[in-house]
Amino acid sequence: MVEAGAWWTLLAAPALLLGLAVLAVTTDAALTARDAGRPVTVSAAMRPLLAVPRALVAQPRRMPAPDRVLWRAGVVSVPVAAVLSTLVIPFGNVAVADLSVGLVWFNAMEVLTWAGLWLAGWGPNAAFSLVGGYRFLAQGLAYELPLMFALISTATGAQSLRVGDIAAAQDGLWYAVWMPVAFVVYLAGVLAFSFLGPFAYPVGQDIAGGVLSETSGVDRLMLQAGRWLWLAAGAAMAVPLFLGGGAGPVLPAWAWSLIKTLLVLAVLVAAVRRLPVIRADRYVEFAWVVLIPLTIVQTLVPALVGLNR
Amino acid sequence: MDLTGTMLHAAAARPRVLVVSMPGGAAVRLAAERQLRLRDWPPATTPAQADLLLVAGPLCPYLNPALERLWQNLPAPRARAHVRTADEVLAALDAVRARLASTAAQRDQETPAETDSRPRHDRRHEQSAEQDGTGGHTSQEKAARDGEHGEESVPDRGNGRYIGSGSDHSSRKRHHGSHGREEKKGDGGDAHEDHQGHGGHGGIEMPGGLPMAGQGEDRDGLTLDRLHVPLGPLLSDWPAGLTLRLVLQGDVVQAADLDEEPLFASRPVESFWVQPWLRSAAGEAVGSGEAVRRRAAARLDSLGRLLMVAGWPAEAMKAHRLRDDLLDGAPAAALASRLERLARRVGRSRTLFWLTRGLGVVTARDARAAGVSGPAARADGDVAARYRRWLTDIRHDVARLDDSSALDPAEESPRGRWDARQPPSAALVALLPHLLDGTELAAARLIVASLDPDMDELAAHSSEGAARG
Amino acid sequence: MGTTAAVLLWALGVLALVGGVLVFTLNSMARVTFALLGSLVCVGGVVTVLGLPYLGVVILLMMVMEMVIMAVFMIAYMMNPAGLMPMSMLHNKRGALAVSGVVFAVLTTAVFVVPWPDRPRVRPVDTTVQVGMSLMGDQMLTMVTLGFVLLATMVGATVLATHRGRYDRFGDDLDQRPAHDPAGGGVGR
Repeated sequence: MVEAGAWWTLLAAPALLLGLAVLAVTTDAALTARDAGRPVTVSAAMRPLLAVPRALVAQPRRMPAPDRVLWRAGVVSVPVAAVLSTLVIPFGNVAVADLSVGLVWFNAMEVLTWAGLWLAGWGPNAAFSLVGGYRFLAQGLAYELPLMFALISTATGAQSLRVGDIAAAQDGLWYAVWMPVAFVVYLAGVLAFSFLGPFAYPVGQDIAGGVLSETSGVDRLMLQAGRWLWLAAGAAMAVPLFLGGGAGPVLPAWAWSLIKTLLVLAVLVAAVRRLPVIRADRYVEFAWVVLIPLTIVQTLVPALVGLNR
Repeated sequence: MDLTGTMLHAAAARPRVLVVSMPGGAAVRLAAERQLRLRDWPPATTPAQADLLLVAGPLCPYLNPALERLWQNLPAPRARAHVRTADEVLAALDAVRARLASTAAQRDQETPAETDSRPRHDRRHEQSAEQDGTGGHTSQEKAARDGEHGEESVPDRGNGRYIGSGSDHSSRKRHHGSHGREEKKGDGGDAHEDHQGHGGHGGIEMPGGLPMAGQGEDRDGLTLDRLHVPLGPLLSDWPAGLTLRLVLQGDVVQAADLDEEPLFASRPVESFWVQPWLRSAAGEAVGSGEAVRRRAAARLDSLGRLLMVAGWPAEAMKAHRLRDDLLDGAPAAALASRLERLARRVGRSRTLFWLTRGLGVVTARDARAAGVSGPAARADGDVAARYRRWLTDIRHDVARLDDSSALDPAEESPRGRWDARQPPSAALVALLPHLLDGTELAAARLIVASLDPDMDELAAHSSEGAARG
Repeated sequence: MGTTAAVLLWALGVLALVGGVLVFTLNSMARVTFALLGSLVCVGGVVTVLGLPYLGVVILLMMVMEMVIMAVFMIAYMMNPAGLMPMSMLHNKRGALAVSGVVFAVLTTAVFVVPWPDRPRVRPVDTTVQVGMSLMGDQMLTMVTLGFVLLATMVGATVLATHRGRYDRFGDDLDQRPAHDPAGGGVGR
């Protein structure tokens, strides 16, 4: 059973999330080094972290007639929402706050990135940046509903919105096993709200980095950090939702949580490198015509099982 | 302890580099890209993201103002270098990094002018083609604003030296193309289709003093603002020197206009990719193997660029690495397995096919009519058909690397049958405006990348023309 | 209700009002939209503090999505291009004042007229189930009908607003394949 943690978990959860995000970044850097024909060493993997001192000395970007307030608000809200989402994610048997509506909380925080990215695109008053902001909305309209149905499937299965209950309800049989569609859609959703890899459409190379194109210094660091923090948060959330939480033989619950989270994170990092950017003009139709019906049917499965119980 | 110094030093350990390839700068760009990859200095796509500005290739006076604006838009700490030949790349990179890491050098440098480097793109306001002077800017100021998007830049009027294909028509076209909107007003009778009466906004204060957008019917039957966005000449992952003037509504391209500005006119440019054909035409003995190697590398370069635009940097890097190894003279046996893997992963990717099918269809008949030869004509289809064609061609070429017979002039150059008077890239460029009409911005970029004209070929041609004329 | 809850309630209430005022005093479309969002998020907070966390968080979730989409449409369809010109959110001042005055009076009266229960007996641990039962229990048919009506309205509005009907796309006999669309879409065709 999941319990609310002591006060220090409020600090430990963001630290753990940051650690996971750094691990994802360094893994990606190591794979890039291998592809580029550079030696794969620990220092090579750590090199992306040099972005931190770089961001601190760099001058922030000035644009003509920007909307500075909204720009800052957007840039800040992406990583902040990622951190807030971890409040409800249990690690082992402890969550910072095991809200009765934890699942909805996670979903709401994820939706905050809609506003965040659109504002970050709008703020600088620049064409490519704005196109990037709108692209995220187009992508959001495609990925959000299937993702919501995937989340609802798990809640229906456990007949609770509390994340701890959902993890506990998978005693013996993981939801990933009997709700595979929801699991895959959820993982795609994680990539989408962290706008990485196949869902890097709003920061596309073809629009010179889109939302990121006019950011420099700390602004850029915040947005980039937000992406990887979201990836880590999504991976951590997959564990209680689909992989039985901290349940497992021999090892303590926190160890199982960590192992499962790392595995999901590895899968996500591999997927980031494995696929080209999926444009919304193709994805929206696919999402609405294929994914939404599929996930609705998927939601129906636990509902029927629950009725017969 | 000097904290700033330490931070600067740490930051300079992995600088992001904006590589700007000048006309004729392909060889330098390739050398630089190779070095950046080996050193893990990530490439930047806009000045905002960059620490270093690396200008590759011989200077082009016409682009100087654009470069200057790019430089002004780099946030401090920053440093710039100009590399003329491929041999200088190593030394230049070390020197420029040292400058970036040095506190003294950064302090001495004037800080990027925030007040005077007016605007970078305010396209949102600057949309109207007609700019009826509501903003009250001097034309100089506007020209400065005009170019701004980092890498796509438009030169000031004074510096443009229009030599070359200077018919009356094209010079007028150049006018409204390159310095924007205010020019059109000046041209007088050059009424444009989206010229609407906008006289009535005199009283309203414009944000940032920027004028209002014009509107027009769009593809989907809505009336939306028109956004004038130039692509090129210095955009990343873009044929260096190509400039397309887009009229966007949302991100749908309503019209694409080719900027026929001869960027190169001041000096002859030799295209790196067709060198073997040029030398052979000049009577030099050139081996088939060498030409084929160059051709395969050129297509890998194009493929890498397409993959970057398609948002697949992991595979793009593999293509670029293969390209560099090919140019380095690696034997076929050393490359074959890696090439095979790349061809399998990219050529058989269902996702990439799903994303690119149906875009920019050029049938064999269209191609023939437009004078296109080479892979674009043989592909006979969409973007997906073209990159698959490249992959097949590259594999055939790599099998022939050791061919020591003399180069047959009929052998295809990277972009098609080589003809100095009618370079194959000219036909590819001519296809673009029509192909891009009604596409979305992302699709437009993919289409351009899948044709990937080599503007240096045109440069060589136009400078010849200038010499003749 | 504890002190913390009371303080939170007041703070959120005041912030919601401030957001509401900003909606009418700011002069940029984007800022107005996000001021409204801020106000609505505070309302969500109020609802949460009042003991309905599900409704509170859902308000946050839905309003973020709605306001972002609304910003897009407001900016796209404003008469003044791109919604970028400084503009006033006050229109038809006299009528609006009258309407809002009446609404305010009615709502305030309602607060005093409604017979509120004295004290809730025992608060349920999880109010989500209660909310669900009271919304769906007796009114299932209403909710289902409403859902379909809303969906039909949305689809209908989109169909009416879009330029291309099926005859444009599939030809007069509806047999033109592939459909004549400027953008391909992601499934078949």
